[in-house]
Amino acid sequence: MKKRVLSMMVMGLILVPFLFGPVSAKTLRIGSMGPLTGPYAADGNDIKNGVLAAIKVIEDEGGIPGYDTIQLFPQDTACDPKQAVASANKLINLEVVGVIGAYCSSSTIPASATLAEEDIIVITPASTHQDVTDRGLPYVFRMCGRDDAQAPAAVKFMKEALGAKTIFILDDKTTYSQGLADGVAKASEAMGIEIVGRDHVNQGDKDFSAVLTMAKTKGADIFYMSLQNHSTGSIMAIQARRMGLKAKIVSNDAMFHPNFMKVAKQAAEGIYVTYGYTDKTTDAYKKYEKIFTAKYGEIGAYATYAYDGAIALLKSIKAAGSTDPERVKAEMMKLDYDGASKHVKFEKNGDSGSSYIAFQVKNGDYVPYWTPAQGVLK
Amino acid sequence: MDYFIQQLINGITLGGIYALIALGYTMVYGVIQLINFAHGEFFAAGGYVGVILLSYFAGRGLMETHPWICLGMSFMLTMGYCAFLAMGVEKVAYLPLRNQSRLAALLSALGVSIFLSNALMLTQGVFDKPYPGELFNGGWEFGLVTISYLQVMIVTMTIVLLVSLNILVFKTKMGMAMRATAQDKTMSALVAIGSNRIISLTFAIGAGLAAAAGIMVGLYYGSVRYDMGFVPGIKAFSAAVLGGIGNITGAMLGGLIIGMVEIFGAGYISGQYKDVFAFIILIAVLYFKPTGIMGVNVDDTRV
Repeated sequence: MKKRVLSMMVMGLILVPFLFGPVSAKTLRIGSMGPLTGPYAADGNDIKNGVLAAIKVIEDEGGIPGYDTIQLFPQDTACDPKQAVASANKLINLEVVGVIGAYCSSSTIPASATLAEEDIIVITPASTHQDVTDRGLPYVFRMCGRDDAQAPAAVKFMKEALGAKTIFILDDKTTYSQGLADGVAKASEAMGIEIVGRDHVNQGDKDFSAVLTMAKTKGADIFYMSLQNHSTGSIMAIQARRMGLKAKIVSNDAMFHPNFMKVAKQAAEGIYVTYGYTDKTTDAYKKYEKIFTAKYGEIGAYATYAYDGAIALLKSIKAAGSTDPERVKAEMMKLDYDGASKHVKFEKNGDSGSSYIAFQVKNGDYVPYWTPAQGVLK
Repeated sequence: MDYFIQQLINGITLGGIYALIALGYTMVYGVIQLINFAHGEFFAAGGYVGVILLSYFAGRGLMETHPWICLGMSFMLTMGYCAFLAMGVEKVAYLPLRNQSRLAALLSALGVSIFLSNALMLTQGVFDKPYPGELFNGGWEFGLVTISYLQVMIVTMTIVLLVSLNILVFKTKMGMAMRATAQDKTMSALVAIGSNRIISLTFAIGAGLAAAAGIMVGLYYGSVRYDMGFVPGIKAFSAAVLGGIGNITGAMLGGLIIGMVEIFGAGYISGQYKDVFAFIILIAVLYFKPTGIMGVNVDDTRV
């Protein structure tokens, strides 16, 4: 009996913080989603850090009236649709007012559907699949570009700047990479580039010698890598160089990451990457760069979009003077300013425009190489 | 033909790495009938210790002046470190459960695996760690066939390690003690063979081989990541089962077969079915010969 009373008391004590937790008000809660563990952990942490940098900026500017602090609840989606929905539900229970995320399109699509049931605003910094905004959900926004803009831009670049006649396309079977590879295949056919091979690899695999040997034997002008993640890309680039693959390597936005070059080193030199254009000389970018690098080190691929997404959300909440999704959305649609990554102005469906250009890796840096409007840059 | 030869070389390299990891599974199973799921993590730890040492040497400029000494030192120290790690894991996680049900030890192994891989993530970070491997770039070209120096190095190292293991197990007293313990712990104890010491030693040798495979994988693919032990661990385990678990020659053969089947499946059919083919072979062999290729049907309940 005594034991039972004791254990009941312990249970009661354990439950105390849960009872009083949510009542400690005056905190604005926002969530972020992204893979914090697993193969894409690096990108998920970039997103989280981008949002944290944005919170710091807003708090330094005086915060949100009516709230003492802004708290971030980062959730780990592990790039897994099931876990993404679970973390969306968790964020609903935490009563967040907005969410920045997720990373993988295959996570963002189901998670945003769950969050839409509670009218929570979602801004994805990284998911480029068309369906993210094409489903007509009222509170879904996107900071990055779209696949159906990236694929034609990449093909146009290969045709005009590289004079490609034949192409070998490879993807890693994720919603994102396969959708993009399909887009590239379609655009290549339309623009008269012959597809000499199309293959897939598995996520998390490290040995690509078989597929690369095939690509080498087919002898295409272009080897197009559509991959979910820069870590796979860097390993593939190293193996391709060692194998003596002569084709020019063109890749997608996920390769736009400092770690891609850190791992691939010389093997990355000369690789072309399509990515949204960011003017790094603007004041907005410099301010962001200063805050981010001081605390979190090098700026990863999607950190800037996550930062801009969070700033857009917090600015709108401030302007609306409320967390009512309808009113915050109205303020978001009014936004028209220069963000760190791009000019922030949302379209009706929640997109914010695509501005894909081609970069070339040169001496360990991404150098703008080609734009659709100006052609090859001198 | 060129295409076939190139894929054959790719397959042998991959198969050799699987074989080295598979040996650890099969040896441990041989002596205590435990599937050591933490074995993949010894492999990952090997990759990480290797990159730390090699980066240290490269940072001091020693890699340019004495490349082979640095490489040899890294291999020795890494294998030693992982051997001690494995002995420690054995003492902490498996020894107390030696006389409990086998399921308890198996679950303990799974726990250790998760613990080690997360410890690696927390201490080393989530990003890939690049290997200082520029030194070994390049290779020989025969028409369309390219054999990189690294592939040659990996295959040579694998052969050397496999041969020395065979000598150790089949030609020395220590090996005899090991085989005796594997056959019957009680009887070998009666002739003054300390079974705990032998089990410890088996873990150490298995982990040492996995650590060597870890460095080679790091050099070959250019980087390591904290979760690198999982997939190769599963493949190597399949290789051990395929060859007949508990049988050393079988594990080598199994590793080679899995590596080749993967590469040829990917090279001739499609890269997306790489893993499918590896496991189809496994299922097919187990269906027709449940003990594996070299396995013998032993009654596990021997006294």
